[in-house]
Amino acid sequence: MSAAISWDPYNADLAKDPYPTYKRLREEMPLYYNEEHDFYAVTRFADIEATLRDRDLFSSRHGDILEFIKAKSVMPDSVFIHQDPPKHTAYRSLMQRIITPKRMHAVEQDIRALCARSLDPLVGGDRLDFIANLGAEMPMRAVSMLLGIPEKDQIAIRQSVDDRLRTEAGKPIDIAAQQQLQQDALSGFDEYIAWREKNPSDDMMTELLQSEFKDPEGVTRRLTRDEISNIVNVVAGAGNETTNRLIGWMGKTLSENPDQRREVAKNFALIPQTVEEVLRFEPPGPFLAREVMRDMELHGRKIPKGAAILLLVAAGNRDESRFVNGDSFNIHREARPHMTFGQGIHVCIGAPLARLEGRVALEEILKRFPDWEVDLDNAVLSSTSTVRGWDSLPAWIGSKPKNVTVSIPKPAAEPAPAPAAAAGPVSLEGTWNVVVKGPTGPQPAVLVLEKSGDTYTGSQSGQGSTTPIADFKLTGNKVYWVNHVTKPMKIKVEFNGELNGNVLSGKAKAGFMGSYPFTATKA
Amino acid sequence: MPKILFIEHSGKEHLIEAEAGKSVMQAAVENMVPGIVGDCGGACSCATCHGYVDPAWQDKVDPRNETEEMMLDGAMNVESNSRLTCQILVKQELDGLVVRLPSSQF
Repeated sequence: MSAAISWDPYNADLAKDPYPTYKRLREEMPLYYNEEHDFYAVTRFADIEATLRDRDLFSSRHGDILEFIKAKSVMPDSVFIHQDPPKHTAYRSLMQRIITPKRMHAVEQDIRALCARSLDPLVGGDRLDFIANLGAEMPMRAVSMLLGIPEKDQIAIRQSVDDRLRTEAGKPIDIAAQQQLQQDALSGFDEYIAWREKNPSDDMMTELLQSEFKDPEGVTRRLTRDEISNIVNVVAGAGNETTNRLIGWMGKTLSENPDQRREVAKNFALIPQTVEEVLRFEPPGPFLAREVMRDMELHGRKIPKGAAILLLVAAGNRDESRFVNGDSFNIHREARPHMTFGQGIHVCIGAPLARLEGRVALEEILKRFPDWEVDLDNAVLSSTSTVRGWDSLPAWIGSKPKNVTVSIPKPAAEPAPAPAAAAGPVSLEGTWNVVVKGPTGPQPAVLVLEKSGDTYTGSQSGQGSTTPIADFKLTGNKVYWVNHVTKPMKIKVEFNGELNGNVLSGKAKAGFMGSYPFTATKA
Repeated sequence: MPKILFIEHSGKEHLIEAEAGKSVMQAAVENMVPGIVGDCGGACSCATCHGYVDPAWQDKVDPRNETEEMMLDGAMNVESNSRLTCQILVKQELDGLVVRLPSSQF
């Protein structure tokens, strides 16, 4: 008898190769229930498709991320990914008029130039990192460009928007500058909107400012500044990290399938179908979630009203009943749509941009580097409840040298420059400005520590609420504490950091939502 | 069952039998006609089922609705006979419909 199947999206060991488990779920348990985290999951292509198409039975009113649904998260109407019709319809149809395939394709040459700027300096060298050198840069800048931020005149503002949009981990950052940018980010962005209002162009921001739409109450009007800010956040957040992950998966998958890579390098006409196959094979966003609105039954099992159901897109994309030998990578396979962009009314609005970026990036990579071999020993994979992919993916240009015995340090492992490190250790007591680079952008917080006897107590404020911290531990220069956050949802956040000079940095583990880098400096 | 002829941009032809009541997009996808993607599954939200209805058939298919007009407005390579095929319902009267496909949907 085979062992019971257990699948946990927060199990990092499983994230390395989840596909054997997905196959078993599809075959043996097409409706899976996870008791520990209380959610249902479907893995067959047809079930995922049926769920995404039935927007009345499967709601997005609390979002499409498991934790948000469980927390009954409510967002402003303009965060349309987080709404059902008619709210969703009002904003989506406005955005459909603004983020058009035409507009996305108009920036193709700019995207190509961004790729060249990132890749040209690597020509002649022996290493490249698909994330640090390309994935972390190009998609973010492409989004800024679509928004219409002029490169020459608006460097400072673009930088602060970039920082707000940046969600990926593992890049060295200038902490002092980051802190300042953090503070300037919102005001800088408002400044940019105000400037664009006076200097209209043909970009997305101008259209966001000028377009009229019928709001959910039926009033025809323009968007408010807050709505524009929310929409830009959704669009940029969604279009940044996912495409970064796509670039990583292209690097990994084509390294491991050298025959197919050589074929594509000889015939660029195969690139679009190669990008599609990578999207199917390793979707950057492996899961989507919905809330079940009525008691229902599926595969002989009852699902109660209010349950959270997880759609394992990454499993459906390899369903053998739809894709022959679904677990194998084959750029010549049957041309059938995959589920990576979702389906139904919430289908990814930026899919044309993602495909364009994927195609142009692969063309520009192959033009310069027809051969590479990824250095998985020095690569870093991360998996959260929204994306799965590489934080760092170094590769040898050409092939791995035969006599390599010492691993080359990966760029992400370099310590972040800590400008004040020479200033000597500071007292932990006092007020710290904490920035967590969370899944929706940097989250600022203030930590106040007091010493009582041999231990520390204190409180942490963020998102408009203050809660006492718990379990504070100091071992050498290692610091640990727990913060039970109540807004925007109840979640336990564990901070594990190191004190270097006057900078405290490390990882913040937000319950089962995953780990995110944080830095703190003395106020 | 009504027959539909899809002609790829390369000229390659696919004659398929379509079920009445389904959309032309669904008929294409179910018969694995390359060149029709249909990412959104028929919600008129992605413009990846773009096709050109043969002029002889233009008056026989239902006209574009407001949402389709809006989607086509932002799509690539749009002509006067462009349609999103998820918005055309298959019916007996459309037996013999000819739809040409663009070079790419994205």
